[in-house]
Amino acid sequence: MAGALPGQTAVPRDIGFFEWFFDADTWTGSGGIIESLIDTVLLCAAATAVAALIAVPVAAVLAHYRKAQVASTWLVSLSRAVPTFAIAALLVPWSLRRGWGFEPWPIFIALFLLAVVPIFLNTYVAIREVPEESVDAARALGYGESAVLGRVEFAMGASLILAGVRVAAIQVVATEPIRAFLGGDGLGRYVRDGFGQNNTTLVVGGIVLIGGLAATTGLLFVLLERLVLPTGVRRLVRHQGERQP
Amino acid sequence: MTTHSTRRTVAKLLAPLVVFGLVAAACGSDDDSGDDGAESSSATTEASGSDTTEASGSDTTDASGSDTSDAAVPDGPTIRLRGQDFSEAITIAEVYGQYLQAQGYDVEILTPAGFRTEAIDGLSNGDLDLIVDYIGGSQAALAPDAPPSADPDEIVAVIGPAYEEIGATLLDYSPAVDGDAFVVRGDSEATTISDVAGLDYVLGASSQCPERPQCLIGLEDPDIYGIEFADFVTLEFGPLLGEALANDEVDAVIWNTTAPQITEQGFKVLEDDQGLFPAQNIAPIITTEVLEAYGDQLAADLDELSAMITTEDLLAWNTETDIEFRESDEVATEWLQSKGLL
Repeated sequence: MAGALPGQTAVPRDIGFFEWFFDADTWTGSGGIIESLIDTVLLCAAATAVAALIAVPVAAVLAHYRKAQVASTWLVSLSRAVPTFAIAALLVPWSLRRGWGFEPWPIFIALFLLAVVPIFLNTYVAIREVPEESVDAARALGYGESAVLGRVEFAMGASLILAGVRVAAIQVVATEPIRAFLGGDGLGRYVRDGFGQNNTTLVVGGIVLIGGLAATTGLLFVLLERLVLPTGVRRLVRHQGERQP
Repeated sequence: MTTHSTRRTVAKLLAPLVVFGLVAAACGSDDDSGDDGAESSSATTEASGSDTTEASGSDTTDASGSDTSDAAVPDGPTIRLRGQDFSEAITIAEVYGQYLQAQGYDVEILTPAGFRTEAIDGLSNGDLDLIVDYIGGSQAALAPDAPPSADPDEIVAVIGPAYEEIGATLLDYSPAVDGDAFVVRGDSEATTISDVAGLDYVLGASSQCPERPQCLIGLEDPDIYGIEFADFVTLEFGPLLGEALANDEVDAVIWNTTAPQITEQGFKVLEDDQGLFPAQNIAPIITTEVLEAYGDQLAADLDELSAMITTEDLLAWNTETDIEFRESDEVATEWLQSKGLL
Protein backbone atom coordinates (compact mmCIF):
# COMPACT_ATOMS: atom_id res chain seq x y z
CA MET A 1 0.00 0.00 0.00
CA ALA A 2 2.75 2.42 0.95
CA GLY A 3 3.90 4.54 -1.95
CA ALA A 4 1.17 3.30 -4.28
CA LEU A 5 0.23 6.86 -5.11
CA PRO A 6 2.18 10.05 -5.27
CA GLY A 7 1.45 12.49 -2.51
CA GLN A 8 0.54 10.16 0.29
CA THR A 9 2.24 9.30 3.53
CA ALA A 10 1.25 6.05 5.17
CA VAL A 11 3.36 6.00 8.30
CA PRO A 12 2.51 3.76 11.25
CA ARG A 13 1.20 5.75 14.20
CA ASP A 14 3.36 4.01 16.80
CA ILE A 15 6.65 4.54 14.98
CA GLY A 16 9.28 6.37 17.04
CA PHE A 17 10.65 9.67 15.80
CA PHE A 18 14.21 8.44 15.29
CA GLU A 19 13.07 5.21 13.70
CA TRP A 20 11.04 7.26 11.22
CA PHE A 21 13.62 9.95 10.67
CA PHE A 22 16.53 7.60 9.96
CA ASP A 23 14.57 5.26 7.70
CA ALA A 24 15.82 5.54 4.12
CA ASP A 25 12.23 5.30 2.79
CA THR A 26 11.35 8.43 4.73
CA TRP A 27 13.84 10.40 2.67
CA THR A 28 13.65 9.01 -0.83
CA GLY A 29 10.90 8.46 -3.35
CA SER A 30 7.67 10.26 -4.02
CA GLY A 31 6.61 12.34 -1.04
CA GLY A 32 9.96 11.70 0.66
CA ILE A 33 11.84 14.30 2.65
CA ILE A 34 14.28 15.02 -0.19
CA GLU A 35 11.52 15.73 -2.68
CA SER A 36 9.58 17.80 -0.14
CA LEU A 37 12.72 19.71 0.81
CA ILE A 38 13.45 20.56 -2.83
CA ASP A 39 9.84 21.67 -3.31
CA THR A 40 10.06 23.93 -0.28
CA VAL A 41 13.50 25.35 -1.02
CA LEU A 42 12.64 26.18 -4.64
CA LEU A 43 9.45 28.01 -3.72
CA CYS A 44 11.06 29.88 -0.83
CA ALA A 45 14.07 30.87 -2.91
CA ALA A 46 11.86 32.09 -5.76
CA ALA A 47 9.58 34.12 -3.49
CA THR A 48 12.47 35.71 -1.61
CA ALA A 49 14.49 36.39 -4.76
CA VAL A 50 11.63 38.06 -6.62
CA ALA A 51 10.77 40.09 -3.52
CA ALA A 52 14.40 41.23 -3.21
CA LEU A 53 14.70 42.06 -6.93
CA ILE A 54 11.65 44.30 -6.71
CA ALA A 55 11.86 45.74 -3.21
CA VAL A 56 15.59 46.57 -3.05
CA PRO A 57 15.77 48.87 -6.12
CA VAL A 58 12.44 50.54 -5.39
CA ALA A 59 13.28 51.17 -1.74
CA ALA A 60 16.83 52.29 -2.57
CA VAL A 61 15.73 54.87 -5.13
CA LEU A 62 12.91 56.14 -2.90
CA ALA A 63 15.28 56.45 0.06
CA HIS A 64 18.00 58.13 -2.02
CA TYR A 65 15.65 60.91 -3.06
CA ARG A 66 14.03 60.95 0.40
CA LYS A 67 10.67 60.30 -1.25
CA ALA A 68 7.59 58.73 0.28
CA GLN A 69 9.14 58.42 3.72
CA VAL A 70 5.86 58.30 5.60
CA ALA A 71 3.86 56.57 2.88
CA SER A 72 6.27 53.70 2.31
CA THR A 73 6.71 52.99 5.98
CA TRP A 74 2.99 53.19 6.58
CA LEU A 75 2.06 51.00 3.63
CA VAL A 76 4.63 48.41 4.49
CA SER A 77 3.67 48.16 8.13
CA LEU A 78 0.05 47.95 7.04
CA SER A 79 0.78 44.98 4.82
CA ARG A 80 2.46 43.33 7.77
CA ALA A 81 -0.92 43.11 9.47
CA VAL A 82 -2.42 40.92 6.73
CA PRO A 83 -2.07 37.23 7.54
CA THR A 84 -0.22 35.20 4.93
CA PHE A 85 -2.47 32.17 5.32
CA ALA A 86 -5.58 34.24 4.64
CA ILE A 87 -4.04 35.72 1.49
CA ALA A 88 -3.05 32.31 0.18
CA ALA A 89 -6.43 30.80 1.06
CA LEU A 90 -8.27 33.65 -0.67
CA LEU A 91 -6.11 33.28 -3.78
CA VAL A 92 -6.64 29.51 -4.11
CA PRO A 93 -10.21 29.67 -5.53
CA TRP A 94 -9.10 32.53 -7.79
CA SER A 95 -6.22 30.46 -9.13
CA LEU A 96 -8.36 27.33 -9.54
CA ARG A 97 -10.99 29.21 -11.50
CA ARG A 98 -8.33 30.37 -13.94
CA GLY A 99 -7.16 26.81 -14.38
CA TRP A 100 -3.78 27.52 -12.78
CA GLY A 101 -4.18 24.88 -10.12
CA PHE A 102 -3.40 25.00 -6.42
CA GLU A 103 0.20 25.91 -7.03
CA PRO A 104 2.33 27.86 -7.37
CA TRP A 105 0.62 31.24 -7.67
CA PRO A 106 -1.48 31.56 -4.49
CA ILE A 107 1.26 30.48 -2.12
CA PHE A 108 3.93 32.28 -4.15
CA ILE A 109 2.10 35.60 -4.04
CA ALA A 110 1.39 35.24 -0.33
CA LEU A 111 5.04 34.47 0.45
CA PHE A 112 6.21 37.26 -1.87
CA LEU A 113 4.09 39.77 0.05
CA LEU A 114 5.50 38.41 3.30
CA ALA A 115 9.10 38.77 2.07
CA VAL A 116 8.70 42.24 0.53
CA VAL A 117 8.03 43.86 3.90
CA PRO A 118 11.35 43.33 5.75
CA ILE A 119 13.41 43.72 2.57
CA PHE A 120 11.78 47.04 1.69
CA LEU A 121 12.02 48.41 5.21
CA ASN A 122 15.65 47.41 5.73
CA THR A 123 16.75 48.75 2.35
CA TYR A 124 14.95 52.04 2.92
CA VAL A 125 16.52 52.51 6.33
CA ALA A 126 19.95 51.33 5.13
CA ILE A 127 20.12 53.94 2.35
CA ARG A 128 18.62 56.73 4.43
CA GLU A 129 20.99 56.18 7.36
CA VAL A 130 24.19 56.40 5.33
CA PRO A 131 26.22 59.24 6.98
CA GLU A 132 25.71 62.53 5.19
CA GLU A 133 29.41 63.36 5.28
CA SER A 134 30.12 60.28 3.16
CA VAL A 135 27.56 61.33 0.59
CA ASP A 136 28.89 64.92 0.63
CA ALA A 137 32.44 63.66 0.16
CA ALA A 138 31.35 61.57 -2.81
CA ARG A 139 29.62 64.56 -4.40
CA ALA A 140 32.70 66.70 -3.81
CA LEU A 141 34.67 64.09 -5.76
CA GLY A 142 32.26 64.60 -8.66
CA TYR A 143 29.99 61.55 -8.22
CA GLY A 144 26.63 61.82 -9.97
CA GLU A 145 23.33 60.71 -8.41
CA SER A 146 23.54 57.15 -9.67
CA ALA A 147 27.14 56.80 -8.53
CA VAL A 148 26.28 58.18 -5.10
CA LEU A 149 23.46 55.69 -4.79
CA GLY A 150 25.24 52.71 -6.27
CA ARG A 151 28.82 53.14 -5.12
CA VAL A 152 28.40 54.92 -1.81
CA GLU A 153 24.95 54.50 -0.30
CA PHE A 154 24.31 50.99 -1.57
CA ALA A 155 27.76 49.75 -0.62
CA MET A 156 27.59 51.24 2.86
CA GLY A 157 24.07 49.95 3.42
CA ALA A 158 24.74 46.51 1.99
CA SER A 159 25.04 44.85 5.36
CA LEU A 160 21.67 46.10 6.52
CA ILE A 161 20.04 45.30 3.17
CA LEU A 162 21.31 41.73 3.31
CA ALA A 163 20.04 41.45 6.86
CA GLY A 164 16.59 42.37 5.56
CA VAL A 165 16.76 39.66 2.93
CA ARG A 166 17.90 37.21 5.58
CA VAL A 167 14.99 38.00 7.88
CA ALA A 168 12.61 37.72 4.90
CA ALA A 169 14.05 34.36 3.85
CA ILE A 170 13.73 32.93 7.36
CA GLN A 171 10.14 34.14 7.64
CA VAL A 172 9.32 32.67 4.25
CA VAL A 173 10.81 29.29 5.14
CA ALA A 174 8.93 29.23 8.42
CA THR A 175 5.65 30.18 6.73
CA GLU A 176 5.86 28.12 3.54
CA PRO A 177 4.46 24.96 5.19
CA ILE A 178 0.95 26.46 5.05
CA ARG A 179 0.89 25.43 1.39
CA ALA A 180 0.37 21.82 2.51
CA PHE A 181 -2.98 22.89 3.92
CA LEU A 182 -3.99 24.48 0.62
CA GLY A 183 -3.63 21.62 -1.82
CA GLY A 184 0.16 21.66 -2.06
CA ASP A 185 2.97 19.65 -0.58
CA GLY A 186 6.47 20.58 0.56
CA LEU A 187 7.76 20.11 4.10
CA GLY A 188 4.43 21.15 5.58
CA ARG A 189 2.98 17.83 4.45
CA TYR A 190 4.41 16.14 7.54
CA VAL A 191 2.68 18.55 9.88
CA ARG A 192 -0.59 18.27 7.90
CA ASP A 193 -0.56 14.47 7.67
CA GLY A 194 0.57 14.18 11.27
CA PHE A 195 -2.39 16.24 12.48
CA GLY A 196 -4.84 14.50 10.16
CA GLN A 197 -3.69 11.03 11.10
CA ASN A 198 -3.09 11.85 14.77
CA ASN A 199 0.54 10.87 14.28
CA THR A 200 2.77 12.82 16.66
CA THR A 201 5.94 11.50 15.06
CA LEU A 202 5.04 13.10 11.73
CA VAL A 203 4.17 16.44 13.35
CA VAL A 204 7.44 16.50 15.28
CA GLY A 205 9.32 15.46 12.15
CA GLY A 206 7.76 18.32 10.21
CA ILE A 207 8.62 20.83 12.93
CA VAL A 208 12.22 19.62 13.12
CA LEU A 209 12.64 19.78 9.34
CA ILE A 210 11.06 23.22 8.98
CA GLY A 211 12.94 24.60 11.97
CA GLY A 212 16.16 23.08 10.72
CA LEU A 213 15.71 24.59 7.29
CA ALA A 214 14.93 28.01 8.75
CA ALA A 215 18.04 27.85 10.93
CA THR A 216 20.19 26.70 8.02
CA THR A 217 18.84 29.53 5.89
CA GLY A 218 19.91 32.05 8.51
CA LEU A 219 23.39 30.53 8.72
CA LEU A 220 23.81 30.57 4.95
CA PHE A 221 23.00 34.27 4.89
CA VAL A 222 25.64 34.96 7.53
CA LEU A 223 28.18 33.19 5.32
CA LEU A 224 26.88 35.06 2.28
CA GLU A 225 27.37 38.38 4.06
CA ARG A 226 31.00 37.51 4.71
CA LEU A 227 31.53 36.55 1.09
CA VAL A 228 29.86 39.44 -0.71
CA LEU A 229 30.46 42.45 1.52
CA PRO A 230 33.46 44.46 0.32
CA THR A 231 36.33 44.45 2.79
CA GLY A 232 36.08 48.20 3.22
CA VAL A 233 32.45 48.00 4.15
CA ARG A 234 33.11 45.20 6.60
CA ARG A 235 35.78 47.36 8.22
CA LEU A 236 33.34 50.26 8.24
CA VAL A 237 30.67 48.22 9.96
CA ARG A 238 33.23 47.25 12.53
CA HIS A 239 34.17 50.89 13.12
CA GLN A 240 30.59 51.97 13.43
CA GLY A 241 30.05 49.22 15.97
CA GLU A 242 32.95 50.55 18.05
CA ARG A 243 31.71 54.09 17.95
CA GLN A 244 28.22 53.14 19.09
CA PRO A 245 28.51 50.18 21.41
CA MET B 1 33.43 43.30 16.56
CA THR B 2 32.47 41.38 13.45
CA THR B 3 33.25 38.08 15.09
CA HIS B 4 31.37 39.16 18.17
CA SER B 5 28.22 40.15 16.31
CA THR B 6 28.47 37.07 14.10
CA ARG B 7 28.62 34.87 17.12
CA ARG B 8 25.59 36.63 18.50
CA THR B 9 23.76 36.15 15.23
CA VAL B 10 24.63 32.46 15.21
CA ALA B 11 23.41 32.14 18.76
CA LYS B 12 20.16 33.83 17.77
CA LEU B 13 19.74 31.52 14.83
CA LEU B 14 20.41 28.45 16.92
CA ALA B 15 17.98 29.44 19.66
CA PRO B 16 14.87 28.34 17.70
CA LEU B 17 16.58 25.04 16.91
CA VAL B 18 17.12 24.41 20.61
CA VAL B 19 13.47 25.18 21.26
CA PHE B 20 12.42 22.77 18.54
CA GLY B 21 14.63 20.13 20.06
CA LEU B 22 12.96 20.58 23.43
CA VAL B 23 9.52 20.37 21.86
CA ALA B 24 10.54 17.22 20.03
CA ALA B 25 11.83 15.65 23.21
CA ALA B 26 8.72 16.59 25.17
CA CYS B 27 6.34 15.23 22.54
CA GLY B 28 8.37 12.11 21.98
CA SER B 29 8.22 11.05 25.61
CA ASP B 30 4.46 10.76 25.97
CA ASP B 31 3.88 9.59 22.44
CA ASP B 32 1.73 6.59 23.18
CA SER B 33 0.09 7.49 26.45
CA GLY B 34 -2.49 9.86 24.98
CA ASP B 35 -1.96 12.17 27.94
CA ASP B 36 -1.12 15.12 25.74
CA GLY B 37 -4.65 15.14 24.41
CA ALA B 38 -5.97 15.19 27.95
CA GLU B 39 -3.88 18.15 28.92
CA SER B 40 -4.81 20.22 25.94
CA SER B 41 -8.49 19.45 26.17
CA SER B 42 -8.69 20.29 29.86
CA ALA B 43 -6.96 23.55 29.09
CA THR B 44 -9.61 24.43 26.52
CA THR B 45 -12.29 23.46 28.97
CA GLU B 46 -11.05 25.89 31.56
CA ALA B 47 -10.32 28.65 29.14
CA SER B 48 -13.53 28.56 27.19
CA GLY B 49 -16.09 26.85 29.35
CA SER B 50 -17.41 29.95 31.04
CA ASP B 51 -18.22 32.01 27.98
CA THR B 52 -19.85 29.19 26.04
CA THR B 53 -22.24 28.48 28.83
CA GLU B 54 -23.11 32.14 29.03
CA ALA B 55 -23.64 32.38 25.31
CA SER B 56 -25.76 29.30 24.91
CA GLY B 57 -27.39 29.57 28.30
CA SER B 58 -28.95 32.94 27.62
CA ASP B 59 -31.38 31.45 25.11
CA THR B 60 -32.26 28.38 27.02
CA THR B 61 -32.37 29.06 30.73
CA ASP B 62 -35.70 30.92 30.62
CA ALA B 63 -37.14 28.30 28.34
CA SER B 64 -36.11 25.47 30.61
CA GLY B 65 -37.40 27.32 33.65
CA SER B 66 -40.90 27.65 32.25
CA ASP B 67 -41.02 24.21 30.68
CA THR B 68 -39.91 22.15 33.58
CA SER B 69 -41.38 24.11 36.48
CA ASP B 70 -43.95 21.39 37.13
CA ALA B 71 -41.69 18.41 36.37
CA ALA B 72 -38.97 17.25 38.72
CA VAL B 73 -35.62 18.76 37.81
CA PRO B 74 -33.21 15.90 37.10
CA ASP B 75 -30.55 15.76 39.75
CA GLY B 76 -27.01 14.71 38.94
CA PRO B 77 -23.55 15.84 37.91
CA THR B 78 -22.86 18.43 35.23
CA ILE B 79 -22.89 16.87 31.76
CA ARG B 80 -19.95 18.26 29.81
CA LEU B 81 -20.54 18.09 26.08
CA ARG B 82 -18.22 19.17 23.30
CA GLY B 83 -18.79 19.10 19.57
CA GLN B 84 -16.11 18.08 17.09
CA ASP B 85 -14.73 21.05 15.26
CA PHE B 86 -16.72 21.14 12.03
CA SER B 87 -20.02 22.84 11.46
CA GLU B 88 -22.33 19.82 11.38
CA ALA B 89 -20.87 18.37 14.58
CA ILE B 90 -21.05 21.78 16.24
CA THR B 91 -24.74 22.08 15.41
CA ILE B 92 -25.39 18.51 16.57
CA ALA B 93 -23.68 19.26 19.89
CA GLU B 94 -25.80 22.42 20.27
CA VAL B 95 -28.99 20.45 19.52
CA TYR B 96 -28.24 17.75 22.11
CA GLY B 97 -26.92 20.29 24.63
CA GLN B 98 -29.78 22.78 24.38
CA TYR B 99 -32.31 19.93 24.39
CA LEU B 100 -30.92 18.51 27.63
CA GLN B 101 -30.73 22.00 29.16
CA ALA B 102 -34.39 22.51 28.31
CA GLN B 103 -35.19 19.22 30.01
CA GLY B 104 -33.59 20.65 33.14
CA TYR B 105 -30.27 18.80 33.03
CA ASP B 106 -27.14 20.59 34.11
CA VAL B 107 -25.26 20.74 30.79
CA GLU B 108 -22.12 22.57 29.87
CA ILE B 109 -21.61 22.95 26.11
CA LEU B 110 -17.88 23.44 25.66
CA THR B 111 -16.25 25.29 22.79
CA PRO B 112 -15.90 22.84 19.88
CA ALA B 113 -12.40 21.45 19.50
CA GLY B 114 -10.65 18.52 17.90
CA PHE B 115 -12.16 15.64 16.02
CA ARG B 116 -13.11 12.05 16.82
CA THR B 117 -9.84 11.08 18.45
CA GLU B 118 -10.01 14.02 20.83
CA ALA B 119 -13.67 13.32 21.56
CA ILE B 120 -13.08 9.67 22.45
CA ASP B 121 -9.96 10.57 24.43
CA GLY B 122 -11.98 13.16 26.35
CA LEU B 123 -14.64 10.57 27.13
CA SER B 124 -12.17 7.95 28.35
CA ASN B 125 -10.10 10.29 30.50
CA GLY B 126 -13.02 12.10 32.09
CA ASP B 127 -12.83 15.52 30.43
CA LEU B 128 -16.12 14.99 28.65
CA ASP B 129 -19.31 13.20 29.64
CA LEU B 130 -21.24 13.20 26.40
CA ILE B 131 -20.18 13.09 22.78
CA VAL B 132 -22.12 12.56 19.59
CA ASP B 133 -20.33 10.59 16.91
CA TYR B 134 -20.91 8.80 13.61
CA ILE B 135 -21.01 5.09 14.40
CA GLY B 136 -18.92 3.94 11.42
CA GLY B 137 -16.27 6.49 12.31
CA SER B 138 -16.35 5.29 15.91
CA GLN B 139 -15.70 1.76 14.69
CA ALA B 140 -12.74 2.85 12.57
CA ALA B 141 -11.26 4.54 15.64
CA LEU B 142 -12.08 1.94 18.32
CA ALA B 143 -11.89 -1.32 16.36
CA PRO B 144 -9.96 -0.58 13.17
CA ASP B 145 -9.56 -4.28 12.40
CA ALA B 146 -13.28 -5.10 12.49
CA PRO B 147 -14.79 -5.30 8.99
CA PRO B 148 -16.77 -2.18 8.11
CA SER B 149 -20.45 -2.68 7.50
CA ALA B 150 -23.23 -0.82 5.81
CA ASP B 151 -25.61 -2.21 8.47
CA PRO B 152 -25.72 0.07 11.53
CA ASP B 153 -26.69 -2.78 13.88
CA GLU B 154 -23.56 -4.74 12.96
CA ILE B 155 -21.49 -1.68 13.80
CA VAL B 156 -23.29 -1.19 17.11
CA ALA B 157 -22.44 -4.80 18.00
CA VAL B 158 -18.77 -3.92 17.61
CA ILE B 159 -18.56 -0.44 19.11
CA GLY B 160 -21.05 -0.95 21.97
CA PRO B 161 -18.61 -3.22 23.89
CA ALA B 162 -15.65 -1.11 22.78
CA TYR B 163 -17.22 1.98 24.38
CA GLU B 164 -18.03 -0.02 27.53
CA GLU B 165 -14.33 -0.76 27.85
CA ILE B 166 -13.58 2.95 28.22
CA GLY B 167 -16.42 3.42 30.67
CA ALA B 168 -19.01 4.80 28.28
CA THR B 169 -22.40 3.71 27.00
CA LEU B 170 -23.53 3.91 23.41
CA LEU B 171 -27.17 4.98 23.23
CA ASP B 172 -29.62 4.35 20.35
CA TYR B 173 -28.42 5.61 17.01
CA SER B 174 -30.41 8.17 15.07
CA PRO B 175 -31.88 7.61 11.61
CA ALA B 176 -29.79 10.63 10.58
CA VAL B 177 -26.79 9.57 8.51
CA ASP B 178 -23.77 11.55 7.42
CA GLY B 179 -21.74 8.99 5.57
CA ASP B 180 -18.83 9.22 3.20
CA ALA B 181 -19.78 10.17 -0.31
CA PHE B 182 -17.77 9.60 -3.47
CA VAL B 183 -18.52 12.83 -5.31
CA VAL B 184 -17.81 13.60 -8.97
CA ARG B 185 -18.76 16.43 -11.33
CA GLY B 186 -22.25 16.29 -12.74
CA ASP B 187 -20.99 15.50 -16.26
CA SER B 188 -19.04 12.39 -15.19
CA GLU B 189 -19.96 9.25 -17.11
CA ALA B 190 -19.77 7.15 -13.93
CA THR B 191 -22.85 6.30 -11.89
CA THR B 192 -21.31 3.82 -9.45
CA ILE B 193 -17.89 3.87 -7.81
CA SER B 194 -16.99 0.72 -9.79
CA ASP B 195 -17.36 2.73 -13.01
CA VAL B 196 -14.42 4.92 -11.95
CA ALA B 197 -11.94 2.02 -12.28
CA GLY B 198 -11.08 2.74 -15.91
CA LEU B 199 -11.30 6.54 -15.82
CA ASP B 200 -7.82 7.51 -14.54
CA TYR B 201 -9.28 9.98 -12.05
CA VAL B 202 -7.41 12.26 -9.67
CA LEU B 203 -8.82 11.85 -6.16
CA GLY B 204 -8.96 14.57 -3.52
CA ALA B 205 -9.57 13.76 0.14
CA SER B 206 -8.39 14.52 3.66
CA SER B 207 -5.02 13.39 4.96
CA GLN B 208 -6.75 10.59 6.88
CA CYS B 209 -7.98 8.94 3.68
CA PRO B 210 -4.74 7.27 2.53
CA GLU B 211 -4.42 5.27 5.73
CA ARG B 212 -8.08 4.26 6.13
CA PRO B 213 -9.40 0.90 4.91
CA GLN B 214 -12.80 2.52 4.28
CA CYS B 215 -11.21 5.18 2.10
CA LEU B 216 -8.23 5.04 -0.27
CA ILE B 217 -7.05 1.59 0.84
CA GLY B 218 -10.44 0.08 0.10
CA LEU B 219 -10.88 2.01 -3.14
CA GLU B 220 -7.55 0.69 -4.43
CA ASP B 221 -7.95 -2.84 -3.04
CA PRO B 222 -8.36 -5.18 -6.03
CA ASP B 223 -10.80 -7.28 -3.97
CA ILE B 224 -13.11 -4.31 -3.40
CA TYR B 225 -12.93 -1.58 -6.07
CA GLY B 226 -9.43 -1.93 -7.50
CA ILE B 227 -9.35 1.66 -8.77
CA GLU B 228 -5.99 3.03 -9.91
CA PHE B 229 -6.11 6.77 -9.40
CA ALA B 230 -3.87 9.00 -11.50
CA ASP B 231 -2.99 11.04 -8.44
CA PHE B 232 -4.08 11.82 -4.89
CA VAL B 233 -4.36 15.39 -3.59
CA THR B 234 -4.62 16.05 0.12
CA LEU B 235 -7.37 18.61 0.79
CA GLU B 236 -8.30 19.34 4.37
CA PHE B 237 -11.14 21.79 4.01
CA GLY B 238 -14.60 21.13 2.61
CA PRO B 239 -14.89 24.34 0.53
CA LEU B 240 -11.53 23.53 -1.10
CA LEU B 241 -12.88 20.11 -2.13
CA GLY B 242 -15.71 21.81 -3.98
CA GLU B 243 -13.46 24.39 -5.64
CA ALA B 244 -10.94 21.76 -6.71
CA LEU B 245 -13.64 19.51 -8.13
CA ALA B 246 -15.50 22.31 -9.90
CA ASN B 247 -12.31 23.56 -11.55
CA ASP B 248 -11.07 20.18 -12.82
CA GLU B 249 -8.14 20.15 -10.42
CA VAL B 250 -9.38 16.80 -9.15
CA ASP B 251 -11.99 14.50 -10.71
CA ALA B 252 -13.43 12.95 -7.57
CA VAL B 253 -13.49 13.81 -3.89
CA ILE B 254 -14.42 11.96 -0.73
CA TRP B 255 -16.99 14.22 0.89
CA ASN B 256 -19.93 13.63 3.15
CA THR B 257 -23.48 12.94 2.08
CA THR B 258 -24.78 15.99 3.92
CA ALA B 259 -22.45 18.53 2.27
CA PRO B 260 -24.81 21.22 0.95
CA GLN B 261 -22.34 22.18 -1.79
CA ILE B 262 -22.97 18.87 -3.60
CA THR B 263 -26.35 19.97 -4.90
CA GLU B 264 -25.38 23.64 -4.81
CA GLN B 265 -22.54 23.13 -7.29
CA GLY B 266 -24.20 20.46 -9.44
CA PHE B 267 -22.06 17.51 -8.36
CA LYS B 268 -23.31 13.96 -8.05
CA VAL B 269 -22.74 11.22 -5.50
CA LEU B 270 -21.75 7.85 -6.97
CA GLU B 271 -23.42 4.71 -5.68
CA ASP B 272 -21.25 2.70 -3.28
CA ASP B 273 -22.04 -0.55 -5.10
CA GLN B 274 -19.47 -2.61 -3.18
CA GLY B 275 -20.61 -1.33 0.22
CA LEU B 276 -17.21 0.09 1.16
CA PHE B 277 -18.44 3.08 3.13
CA PRO B 278 -19.73 2.04 6.54
CA ALA B 279 -23.05 3.14 8.00
CA GLN B 280 -22.57 6.53 9.61
CA ASN B 281 -25.66 7.15 11.73
CA ILE B 282 -25.14 9.66 14.50
CA ALA B 283 -25.38 8.36 18.06
CA PRO B 284 -24.80 9.89 21.49
CA ILE B 285 -22.21 8.24 23.73
CA ILE B 286 -22.27 9.08 27.42
CA THR B 287 -20.03 8.07 30.30
CA THR B 288 -21.64 5.21 32.20
CA GLU B 289 -21.00 7.02 35.49
CA VAL B 290 -23.10 10.04 34.48
CA LEU B 291 -25.76 7.87 32.88
CA GLU B 292 -26.20 5.86 36.06
CA ALA B 293 -26.20 8.99 38.21
CA TYR B 294 -29.26 10.26 36.33
CA GLY B 295 -30.94 6.88 35.87
CA ASP B 296 -33.07 5.67 32.96
CA GLN B 297 -34.69 9.03 32.31
CA LEU B 298 -31.56 10.51 30.71
CA ALA B 299 -31.16 7.60 28.28
CA ALA B 300 -34.87 7.79 27.41
CA ASP B 301 -34.66 11.56 26.81
CA LEU B 302 -31.60 11.21 24.59
CA ASP B 303 -33.10 8.31 22.62
CA GLU B 304 -36.24 10.35 22.05
CA LEU B 305 -34.19 13.21 20.57
CA SER B 306 -31.98 10.94 18.44
CA ALA B 307 -35.08 9.33 16.91
CA MET B 308 -36.36 12.75 15.79
CA ILE B 309 -33.26 13.85 13.84
CA THR B 310 -33.16 12.91 10.16
CA THR B 311 -30.52 13.11 7.43
CA GLU B 312 -32.55 15.94 5.86
CA ASP B 313 -32.26 17.85 9.12
CA LEU B 314 -28.46 17.51 9.02
CA LEU B 315 -28.43 18.76 5.43
CA ALA B 316 -30.71 21.67 6.33
CA TRP B 317 -28.49 22.63 9.30
CA ASN B 318 -25.38 22.49 7.13
CA THR B 319 -27.02 24.65 4.49
CA GLU B 320 -27.84 27.25 7.13
CA THR B 321 -24.39 27.21 8.75
CA ASP B 322 -22.19 26.77 5.66
CA ILE B 323 -24.10 28.46 2.85
CA GLU B 324 -26.04 31.10 4.78
CA PHE B 325 -23.32 31.51 7.43
CA ARG B 326 -25.64 31.41 10.41
CA GLU B 327 -24.54 30.54 13.95
CA SER B 328 -24.82 26.90 14.97
CA ASP B 329 -26.47 27.65 18.31
CA GLU B 330 -29.23 29.69 16.63
CA VAL B 331 -29.81 26.98 14.04
CA ALA B 332 -30.07 24.41 16.83
CA THR B 333 -32.46 26.56 18.87
CA GLU B 334 -34.75 27.13 15.89
CA TRP B 335 -34.87 23.44 15.03
CA LEU B 336 -35.65 22.46 18.62
CA GLN B 337 -38.38 25.11 18.75
CA SER B 338 -39.87 23.89 15.48
CA LYS B 339 -40.07 20.38 16.96
CA GLY B 340 -41.64 21.72 20.16
CA LEU B 341 -38.65 20.63 22.22
CA LEU B 342 -37.83 24.03 23.65
